[in-house]
Amino acid sequence: MPANLTAIALTSVRKTFRGVVAVEEASFEVERGEIFGLLGPNGAGKTTLLRLIMDIFRPDSGSIQVFGHPILSKDKERIGYLPEERGLYTRQKVQAVIEYLVQLKGVPQPQARVNTLFWLERLEMLDAKERKVLELSKGNQQKIQFIATVAANPEILLLDEPFSGLDPVNARALIQVIQELSAAGKTILLSTHQMNLVESLCRRVFMIHHGRQVLYGDLQAIQKAHSEKSVIVRSNANYSTCPFISQASANGRGTQIVLSEENQPRDLLAWLLESRAEVELFECAKTPLEDIFIRVAQR
Amino acid sequence: MSKMWVIARREFLTTITRKGYVFAVIGTPLLFGAIFGISFLTSGTLEESVKSRSEPIAVVDRSRTVDFDLAPTVETRDPAPPAAGMLEKAAAKPPRIVPYTDMTEAIRDLKEGKLSAVYLIESDYMTTGKIIAYSPEHGMFSDLASPDRSRLYDLIRASLIKGRIDGETRERILAPGKLKQMKVSKHGGVENGSDALQKAFRFFGPFSMFLLLTMSIFFSSGYLLQGIAEEKQNRVIEVIWASVEPMELLIGKMVGLGAAGLLQVAFYVGMFLLPAVAVFSLFQISTAGLALSFLYFVLGYILFAGLMAGTGILGSSPQESGQLSAFWTLLSMIPMFLLAPISEAPNSWLARGLSWFPLTAPVAMLLRITSGQIPWVDVGISVVTLATSIWLAIRGAAKMFRAAALMYGKRPGLGEVIRWLREA
Repeated sequence: MPANLTAIALTSVRKTFRGVVAVEEASFEVERGEIFGLLGPNGAGKTTLLRLIMDIFRPDSGSIQVFGHPILSKDKERIGYLPEERGLYTRQKVQAVIEYLVQLKGVPQPQARVNTLFWLERLEMLDAKERKVLELSKGNQQKIQFIATVAANPEILLLDEPFSGLDPVNARALIQVIQELSAAGKTILLSTHQMNLVESLCRRVFMIHHGRQVLYGDLQAIQKAHSEKSVIVRSNANYSTCPFISQASANGRGTQIVLSEENQPRDLLAWLLESRAEVELFECAKTPLEDIFIRVAQR
Repeated sequence: MSKMWVIARREFLTTITRKGYVFAVIGTPLLFGAIFGISFLTSGTLEESVKSRSEPIAVVDRSRTVDFDLAPTVETRDPAPPAAGMLEKAAAKPPRIVPYTDMTEAIRDLKEGKLSAVYLIESDYMTTGKIIAYSPEHGMFSDLASPDRSRLYDLIRASLIKGRIDGETRERILAPGKLKQMKVSKHGGVENGSDALQKAFRFFGPFSMFLLLTMSIFFSSGYLLQGIAEEKQNRVIEVIWASVEPMELLIGKMVGLGAAGLLQVAFYVGMFLLPAVAVFSLFQISTAGLALSFLYFVLGYILFAGLMAGTGILGSSPQESGQLSAFWTLLSMIPMFLLAPISEAPNSWLARGLSWFPLTAPVAMLLRITSGQIPWVDVGISVVTLATSIWLAIRGAAKMFRAAALMYGKRPGLGEVIRWLREA
């Protein structure tokens, strides 16, 4: 991929803590303007990867490039980081806290105030601007943290579990904002456990497990690769007599059938035809990302 | 505005509006005032205690030494020399001396409050000098002031020389001297040193300045420690890390909190020390001394801010960080524990050694400046060692920041800290 199209590039990155490997041989690229999914079970190394990108940690080996070069102090102004461990000055007023954090991104104070008020209004938090952070609910504190991340108008957003603590209404509002930011050309690296959101927001993903890469690439291709043995069928056949099926479960559209290792969908189709079943639907299924996630995590 | 100044400005404004800061700024002088007040009130209590003894003293003279006819002449003479101070002045009006023959009767009258004391002069007094005093319990100061005792001694002296020595010689035997105390300042000036208030301020003035500067160093670096520990605890440090470099954060905090410390000192100087200098001319510290005090305040603050920051980041809570940093505070306060020897001999090897050791140098030098002239070589050595230590402390703190800022819930061991200092 041309360097000018790459926002973030990691090559063979390794990081250990007290001799314990947190990240091993991690390599991926995030294109400019895309929403990129960073997936993995708890403790897989996702947060470490984000901290490495932000230069909070330094890798033991490998290289990390942001905007086409190793990250410089000045580059941090162009990156918004929402850490998983939320951190705000809880005894200070909402507006003052956001303005301070925005100014630390190099935004002059008057502009920081304008941006802060804009985003407080955008996420319906303007009434809380004079309240202390600790007086807000966890969900609203989460929104304040998000505002502090985006109000400096960064080009890249690293969002670590941005939906945790949010109710469905606020989560939906945040999804909409993320989509708008992406449409406006922002690069978004989204680390989350919520697979349905990754499926709806991300085109490409990187999955890490025990510090090592287990999946990387186009989401549809990954799902397809993991779905070759899975078929959705709606027919009157008695599946219990079929020798190719290892698992059958009801699906909203019919029966989802997982085939045995040595068989292909065409074998099932041939069996259905031979058994003279009335077939209304026969479709190679896309395995939900959540299933892939669980399958990979349980390996 | 650079990020460092954004941080400094916020730290300054946040700190000076803290309740703890306001309490320290206003409360510390109040504490000193209270100590002064208690001191003077105590003097007043003593004075009252002495004054209240208007009852006569009884003398049971078994040696037949005392000529009680001379008692009125002894009592009318002012026995207190002009320089003897408040206590003696308070007792200037002597009690009557009453002869008793029966000891039992004298003790009974003492119990009933008719007497303030009973003195028994034993029969072998001329060979042994033995006198037994009986007095009622009057609290802790009752034994410190016994003007009536000196009155008795005067009477005994007068009785012993009666008919043998007269005139001025007799007067000088009875009152050998009327002491007037003078003080020679470091600048060569000679002035009356007998005034109790001036005497008190002569010590407390420079000492207060030393104490306020020392306390300001530890208040300001303590705020830094607390702020860093809180930012680590509430996880905001990771958000800040994503925007600034460790050194920017550290210097921004040091500048902001140092300014808060300077404001504190300026408040003390403006409100208390300058009026004291103007009104009472009490300070004997030269302009160079004041400039040096300021220099050591700044160097001391930067050094301990660096040390506190590097230590504060290691703790998992503000409390734990405070405990860890107590090591630096205790070490630096060693000169305080050696206050008396350093004040008495500010150029002794002990004082000089503590001035050359960077961790004790700020407090030791501030103390020595208030106590006397200091060789410039000591200033040079201490400034060099302090500057070197500051450089090491700040570099070390920045390394600690990067290594330990995101270690939650576990404290690194000493070996790990040393490894970070080497590697980072």
